[in-house]
Amino acid sequence: MVGKSAARRIIEGVGLYGAVALYVAFALFPIYWTVKISVTPQKLLYSEGIKLWPSRMTLENYSSVLAASDFPRYFLNSVVVSISTSLIVTVIASLAGYALSRFQFRGKVGVSLLLLLTQTFPLVMVIPPIFRIMGQLGLTDNLYGLIIIYTAFNIAFATFLMQSFFDGVPKDLEEAAMIDGCSRFVALRRIILPLTLPGMGATVAFVFTAAWSELLFALMLINSESQKTFSVGLLTFIGKFAVDWGQMMAASVLALIPVCLFFGFLQRYLVTGLTAGAVKG
Amino acid sequence: MTLSRADEINRQARMRRWAAMAEPWLYLSPALIFIVVVLLVPLVIGICYSFYKFSAFRSEWAGLDQYRTLATDPVLYHSLYNTLWWTAGSLILQFFLGLGLALILNRAFFGRKLVQAVVFLPWAVPTFLTGLTWAWLFNPLIGPIPHVMYYLGIQKEAVTILASPDHAMWGPILANVWYGIPFFAITLLAARKSIPTELYEAASIDGATAWQQFTKVTLPFLAPTIAITVMLRTVWIATFADLIYVMTAGGPAGSTETIATYIYVSTFKTLDKGYASAIAVLLLFLLILYALVVIQMRRRLMRDM
Amino acid sequence: MRKFALSMAFGVAALALSTASVLADTTVQLVEVITSPQRTEFLKGQLAEFEKANPGIHVDVVSLPWGEAFEKFLSMVQAGQIPDMVEMPERWMGLYANNGQLEALGPYMDKWDEFKTLGDRAKQLGSTVKDTQFMIPYGYYINAMFWNKKMFKEAGIDGAPKTMDEFAADAKQIAEKLPGKYGYCLRGGPGAFGSIQQFMDNMAGKSGYFNADGTSIFNEEGAVKGLQMLADIYQKGWAPKDSVSWGFNELVTGFYTGTCAMLNQDPDALIGIAEKMNADDFAVAPWPVGPSGKAYPALGYAGWAMMSASKHKDETWKVMSFLLDNKQNLGWAKTVGTLPIHNGAESDDYFKTEQFAGWFTELKDASKYELTTPPTYLENLGVFYDSQVPKNFQAVLLGQKTAKEVADTWAKFLTDEQQKYMAAHK
Repeated sequence: MVGKSAARRIIEGVGLYGAVALYVAFALFPIYWTVKISVTPQKLLYSEGIKLWPSRMTLENYSSVLAASDFPRYFLNSVVVSISTSLIVTVIASLAGYALSRFQFRGKVGVSLLLLLTQTFPLVMVIPPIFRIMGQLGLTDNLYGLIIIYTAFNIAFATFLMQSFFDGVPKDLEEAAMIDGCSRFVALRRIILPLTLPGMGATVAFVFTAAWSELLFALMLINSESQKTFSVGLLTFIGKFAVDWGQMMAASVLALIPVCLFFGFLQRYLVTGLTAGAVKG
Repeated sequence: MTLSRADEINRQARMRRWAAMAEPWLYLSPALIFIVVVLLVPLVIGICYSFYKFSAFRSEWAGLDQYRTLATDPVLYHSLYNTLWWTAGSLILQFFLGLGLALILNRAFFGRKLVQAVVFLPWAVPTFLTGLTWAWLFNPLIGPIPHVMYYLGIQKEAVTILASPDHAMWGPILANVWYGIPFFAITLLAARKSIPTELYEAASIDGATAWQQFTKVTLPFLAPTIAITVMLRTVWIATFADLIYVMTAGGPAGSTETIATYIYVSTFKTLDKGYASAIAVLLLFLLILYALVVIQMRRRLMRDM
Repeated sequence: MRKFALSMAFGVAALALSTASVLADTTVQLVEVITSPQRTEFLKGQLAEFEKANPGIHVDVVSLPWGEAFEKFLSMVQAGQIPDMVEMPERWMGLYANNGQLEALGPYMDKWDEFKTLGDRAKQLGSTVKDTQFMIPYGYYINAMFWNKKMFKEAGIDGAPKTMDEFAADAKQIAEKLPGKYGYCLRGGPGAFGSIQQFMDNMAGKSGYFNADGTSIFNEEGAVKGLQMLADIYQKGWAPKDSVSWGFNELVTGFYTGTCAMLNQDPDALIGIAEKMNADDFAVAPWPVGPSGKAYPALGYAGWAMMSASKHKDETWKVMSFLLDNKQNLGWAKTVGTLPIHNGAESDDYFKTEQFAGWFTELKDASKYELTTPPTYLENLGVFYDSQVPKNFQAVLLGQKTAKEVADTWAKFLTDEQQKYMAAHK
């Protein structure tokens, strides 16, 4: 009996770690390939073909991206846009998601459909009108315009996400609190929000990455070097005459760093699951 | 006196009712303002385009002509089929692999934090770059995939599948799966974390097996999140042109042309954004229909809970 | 308090001064569309020189990433965000010039010092729309045959092919003799039509796109043969499998890595290739002739144009004429890989190498080489290039459609456009 369960545990363990290894390999390989290209000297890029690591490596691409291009500024712009967007969206979407989850009211389906509608249209279609409207408001070619547009585009999805997280939190918790004399808003703040922190963390993370890598609007609305975000900057490496793969990949690898830091910071919320403690306490 | 007091109470009751009615709208208002001003207005303008015929600098009223052309456009049917294939293929793989990953990450094991950070990374890679990187991996000159496939005997020679009209779609799908697994994993993990542990404790005291716990506790609690993420992701994938555009540009010979890439081409290459709008309206209609079905299903699920 | 008033006064004065200087400065906005980091840097260097020589004029450069430049620029103009000056590829000219977006440059050119050395070709090619000079080319791209000497030797062939038959035979021999190598670097993706047109014209023995009555020559028997030849090269494995979606970058990479031995390209490819290959390993020959004994290499060009909505036309012309003068144009040609526009520039030592021989032969021997330009006056030429061609051409290569079918589709599209144009410009 004991032996059987030990064998089973071993099999389970092997299966678990095997699966983990496969996921990690699948996730990492393309990124690893990007890193490899970024440290490969231009001359060896094609001549060595599919080697796993170049015979000679160079950090030249990194130094030229950091020192001799506008990339540091692009990064800064992207950070400003992404952080602002993700915070604004998460606050707005938490409120809206809570309303959709906890209230029964006329027009609720209509609101959901309206939110959904904003996701079902390819962006290309609304670019000409948005371009015109933003131009008249003086919001083209600056970061505020981007933040406003990104916020609008991400609200729907973030709201749905937050709604589903609120739905997952048992209703009796806040009802109990409200019977104890808390107002709804206090109950939301004290009881419900802590429970949905992992969800809010996930929402912040999603909106951050969406804004971080958005290309079409950033490309269409921004002209000046000083306002470009990093994804538009990446495009400049693809010329008509040659693609500077090395520098492009170096810039991409560098672009992953802020995202990694950001994800790392959010890990707390995503991993620990404050819920467990809160409910038990 | 008494009358006015009754009035007062009445008034307060009315106020309260009104406040109760207004409360959800209060919570919703910032979201709605943003959406109506920034998105709905351009959207309506965009839909209006579909009644015009455009060239770069001119437009003329066309009534329903664009829709009539739509009905007999062979490229459209082909693209619809490709869209279905692209969406279903990407979605199913992303969802099941993502769910598996979420369940794995929910268990305690050595190095979990690091693993979690690593497997979420693809989501952070800009899609345009994802496309380029995967195009590299498929390139026979410098990428390993054709050689691996040749070695495994899947292909007779080490060539890129992106040049094959029958298999090219697998390229963007694979890239999309890689990119999309973290989305499901993160949301499902976050939802899984919100399930109170007592439920599992109670279940295991009742002697439920791991499988029973999964089907009786985990799945029902994940259901709202699953429904919403599957719905959103479907809509996104169906309208998502970037990966395909970067990797194959809809080629070879239109074999990876989806509705979304066709809209892009119609807007910027054939310069008829009226026709592009008409296609977009069709897509919008289909997706809303799909979403309504999912919302209904979700409602039923919620009621059952 | 007095101190405060004083500093206020100073502040106001300083403010007044700074607005005054802003008013005195004119900013000319220039959009460049065919971009690369090196090119942008060179252009900015030129403009810095210009600003030094012309105090009071500031040039603001907007660089659009080339891959999305068409979409972006069109959206800008449609939304009314119009710059003063734009780099104009020949394919876009019909679209903007026919729609009244471009300023006629004739009056400015008459007063230009360096007008006398400007080659006739620049005048002619810049005024294809309504016989009006809507742009001035800054250089030409002429297609010729890059060939890999080393691979030819390994396959036992000496010298570049002189006729289309030799070309096909060489492609075959290289593909069969050298394992994993191919004869021709075929362009199936974006921008393929320059090459296709050459094959079709060569085999038809006719120049250009149209007969005198406005019907397209592309579905005539000889032209269809030319298209079929490309399909054969691909289907028989003389060109790489993935070349079905190759664009410029892949082509050049394919050539300099020695994957394929022959490449049809213009001098801009030379920059990338010369950097990565030994000068002894390759050369550029004139394009092989067809059965008629003539060849019809594609001549492409790009230049500068002024937007008619510009509010600073005189200043814009100053910038434009500076960039196009003899000295700047020569430097530009060397940097970006075009053939210069002023007479006498070809005597510069830089162009006297073996690599440039192919192009200059084509330029000089007009009886054998008829340079063919696209019908840049057609408003929908871009639509033809970017939407009609890639999809249908790939279908021919993959054997999904016959050469004749596709040639008919193309001929119909072009004939319609041409006859519409002719009717409007009788």
